[in-house]
Amino acid sequence: MIFRSATRAMVLALLILRLVPPTLAQQKESHSYSDDDQVLRAMRIELERSKSKLKLEGMAVPYYIDYRVIDINGCVAEAVFGAVRANIPVRLRFLRVVVRVGDYKQDSFFGQGIGVLDFMPLDDDLLALRHQIWLATDKAYKDATEALAAKQAQLKQYSVDQPVDDFARAEPVVSIGPLAKLDSDLQSWLKVLQDASAMYKSDPQIESSEAGLNFLALNRYFANSEGTIVRSGQTLYDLHIALSTQAADGMRLDRSHSDMVPDIKELPSREAFLARTSQLLATLKELRKVPVVDEEYRGPVLFSADAASAVFSDLVGENVLGLKPELGQPARTTGAFATSYKTRILPDFLSVVDDPTIPSINGQGLMGKYDVDDEGVRAMRVSVIEDGKLVNYLMGREPIRDFPASNGHGRAKVPQNYPGPSLGNLIVRSSAPLSPAELKKKLIELCRQRELPYGYYVDTMGPQRMPRLLYKLWTKDGHEELVRGAMFGDLDARALRNDLVAAGDDVHIENLTQNVPHSIVNPSILFDELTVKRANVNNDNLPDYAAPALVSAK
Amino acid sequence: MGWLIVICLASGVDGSVSEQDRKEKDPLISTMQQELERARTELGKLNPAPYFMGYSVHDQSIALAVGSQGSVVNSTRSRTRVADVIMRIGTPALDNTHQGNRFSAISSGLLPLNDDRDAIAHVLWQLTYEEYRKASQAYLNIKTGTRVRAPEEDTSPDFSQETPHIDSNNRELGPAPDQQALEKIVARYSGQFGKYPYVYSSLVMITVLRTQFRFVSSEGSHLTTPANTVVRLAIQAGTRAEDGMDLIRVETFQVGNTDHLPAEAEITARVEKMASDLKALRDAPVAEPFDGPALLSGRAAAVFFHEVVGHRLEGNHQRGELEGQTFTKQVNQRVLPDFLSVIDDPTQRVLNGMDLGGWYLYDDEGTPAGRVELVKDGILKSFLMSRMPINNFAGSNGHGRAQAGLMAMGRQGNLLVSSSHTIKDSELRRQLIDQITKQGKPYGLYFEDIQGGFTLTQRVMPQVFQVLPVLVWRVYSDGRPDELVRGVDIVGTPLAVINRILLTGEKTEVFNGMCGAESGTVPVSAAAPAMLFSEIEVQKRGHSLNRPPILPPPGFETVDTTHSSKVGGPR
Repeated sequence: MIFRSATRAMVLALLILRLVPPTLAQQKESHSYSDDDQVLRAMRIELERSKSKLKLEGMAVPYYIDYRVIDINGCVAEAVFGAVRANIPVRLRFLRVVVRVGDYKQDSFFGQGIGVLDFMPLDDDLLALRHQIWLATDKAYKDATEALAAKQAQLKQYSVDQPVDDFARAEPVVSIGPLAKLDSDLQSWLKVLQDASAMYKSDPQIESSEAGLNFLALNRYFANSEGTIVRSGQTLYDLHIALSTQAADGMRLDRSHSDMVPDIKELPSREAFLARTSQLLATLKELRKVPVVDEEYRGPVLFSADAASAVFSDLVGENVLGLKPELGQPARTTGAFATSYKTRILPDFLSVVDDPTIPSINGQGLMGKYDVDDEGVRAMRVSVIEDGKLVNYLMGREPIRDFPASNGHGRAKVPQNYPGPSLGNLIVRSSAPLSPAELKKKLIELCRQRELPYGYYVDTMGPQRMPRLLYKLWTKDGHEELVRGAMFGDLDARALRNDLVAAGDDVHIENLTQNVPHSIVNPSILFDELTVKRANVNNDNLPDYAAPALVSAK
Repeated sequence: MGWLIVICLASGVDGSVSEQDRKEKDPLISTMQQELERARTELGKLNPAPYFMGYSVHDQSIALAVGSQGSVVNSTRSRTRVADVIMRIGTPALDNTHQGNRFSAISSGLLPLNDDRDAIAHVLWQLTYEEYRKASQAYLNIKTGTRVRAPEEDTSPDFSQETPHIDSNNRELGPAPDQQALEKIVARYSGQFGKYPYVYSSLVMITVLRTQFRFVSSEGSHLTTPANTVVRLAIQAGTRAEDGMDLIRVETFQVGNTDHLPAEAEITARVEKMASDLKALRDAPVAEPFDGPALLSGRAAAVFFHEVVGHRLEGNHQRGELEGQTFTKQVNQRVLPDFLSVIDDPTQRVLNGMDLGGWYLYDDEGTPAGRVELVKDGILKSFLMSRMPINNFAGSNGHGRAQAGLMAMGRQGNLLVSSSHTIKDSELRRQLIDQITKQGKPYGLYFEDIQGGFTLTQRVMPQVFQVLPVLVWRVYSDGRPDELVRGVDIVGTPLAVINRILLTGEKTEVFNGMCGAESGTVPVSAAAPAMLFSEIEVQKRGHSLNRPPILPPPGFETVDTTHSSKVGGPR
């Protein structure tokens, strides 16, 4: 009940709403930095001014200031049942300013002191750019002053045995990369979306058919009071399709596919994308007919490299981040591996590194490639797990116990969250790899030893680590039988440590954009014991009446 | 609106020849009709079966540009077609929308932007069977609930009987506004503030929202309304006083067409005035709590009536155990001074040469917009009605409004306040001073402009309202010049305040705005003459203690910003 006028918060909310989580990769362009980059120039001028003059009477001066700008340019589009329903150009620039008062040991990065977010002018008007930075810096400084007082008050309630510093020192870096530009013929890709999502016409029982694209160029600018200046550009091309149907018993069945690549040249051709869609349709049709899994199975399970990706992402990736716990808490990190430093968390034949410095593997572009992270620290290859043992965490500039420095993994969510430890390219390798065929043979062998009539082979996973394409692999003749409606009973860190018995020599690359753009690279894996049971989900009724008859040709 | 042809049918729709022609021209509405008919037949076989279904589609194009400090910070345009599937199960007397369950009657999704019949039909089908699951479950719960609970105070049915309407005024949305022209507008006016170092922030936003509404119902309505355009230019500028109080000035221009925006010179002059107002506000003393005579400008009085009276006359707020129901039982009783009348007339497009923001042809339930006499000579006559009946008001009067995706409820359109006890506007100040002298007060208040307001209508909250004035003057009775004050909020309870209006001016002023409530944000307008109150209560506004920026703004590094007024910056 309000007469409303345009407020900054409202506009900002509107802009952020329009944004779909994006990502990136680099484009070659032979620009070199000079002072004609107005964004960098505005950042440098205001940084100088704030460094030398920003001071409140009787209050501490800032010991650190950084400015981060992200420029997002692209398009988000969606087609449903063969027709485009959204086609939204995206062009935004965001600014985040962090001012820290106190010192590296204890500072104001807490509560409201984590920085100020605002938007930035799109045209390169130097004064307008500076004006926005000036206002945000002023606010960030005042917020920081109050935040430090609040933090110190709260810290008085706890006694901390081994205090760690609040902020790690880092070497200044100057790295001016080329700006990224989108390179795509949007109209032809919209046509691909329409054609792919129109393929539902071959099957009257398809209930939803949606295809989408998300093409974005992200250019990042960073400057801090320590002398770091970074500019980098990346592009992201994402093409996806999702289809669903229901089995006769009401079970909802989904299939989806996504191609997320840093270079448009890596996108599938129109024919390949349509062929992929028709494959999804064929498996949905088949899934409707196949039996539901047996009530419970305990025994060997083989994951394809594709299916194993979600396992490593959730159970390893999330937990190797050196995230500092809440104020006053004694734990090393917040993850499941908080107490696992120098202990075994995987079988000894597996090792894991995170290497943001490599652009591709087997010719496939990696989304987690970057040169300098969002805190101005150079990307580094970090060996995280060696022969099954946790030896490192991925670190940003917020230290945790025993890890006082960043290893170049401090990255920020788009549009402009504050940075924290994040994955880059997480690569899992086995020291005793088997071929996929050998793994299948081994699965059958294990089943035979335990007199099981079949083992399970997981081809594809869906959300929440639920299998989408799951096959029974019969012991007697090795034939595969598709089943539906399964979930895992105990697919957790313990299973990964104790029940994983072999890994493949194959490689799957999953490019992801949740939180920050990153990649998971891993082989297929074999567990000698895992529980597969019937999923406990409600089945909706089938649609109460048939789909509309088609007026156009199939 | 002579070109509008409204055909009322008793029931059902059949296809005359010209009707067929129109269908062919608009595949969207014919697909909507076809799918609705199919759903009606198919779901009609089930138990429980829907007794009412409606499909509505808001085809909306928005062009938006945002500027700050002379620079464009966002410029975007997009188009969406939002489909709402409305389903009612049970009987009009008791259905799935009963009490707090109105949202069980609506499912929304995005339709394709082109007229692909197969795709449109499939999305509607998907939304419809999902909506049926939701509505039928809600209905079963309600049926059980009403058997268990005590009878309600208002036993009106849940849905009113209305005559279906057919109106195919199928005009295309027309060309989108020139995006670069919009960018120029926001850059130009926000850049004007660059001259003033004490204007710390500025934001100028222009939106051009064009909506075409299509509606078909199982009662036989089918409507296509011509594209309705709302152009809104909002200019906001802010500064901060030395004591930390944030001060903002907002000017909005809302018109039905970009050509109707005031001339550049006029807007420029308004921007200059905003800047000089801000300067004056920074130096103005903070208002003290005060209770005494006050004069509200027409715009301020219009916002006041929108909040204090308009929201309390919304039909949906008269029914329901949580509602405050200020006026529910006062029909045919005096609620305002007898010289005041209030109507709401969405059919009026222009007033005193200004486009009215609350204009529409049909409401969002497909009922033709109606002029409603709410208060006549101080006596309460009616409420703003959607198709949800309340005691003694069985039908809609064309005020069922909602933003796409939400259930409609009785809302304001153009709220017009008129008076029979007027004096020349030039005499109002004199009358204010007379009141000050009569009451022996040191001064009175003149509310020149207001930025918006809000009101609470629920029982669990105090029944208060607040309007947010931005330009308030102390008027002295001893001949001293008027003195600008800052940090004033009007407070009070509605019934007490509205009866302290003594007289009004002659000239009606218009406030156009966006109004947000349970059924979303809709454009509205309020118009009123200036009003003299014998007593109004104001409180101090809370504010932050943050100081003004420490460093001078870029471009003014060498200038003492605290006292300069007009200094040309090196742009």
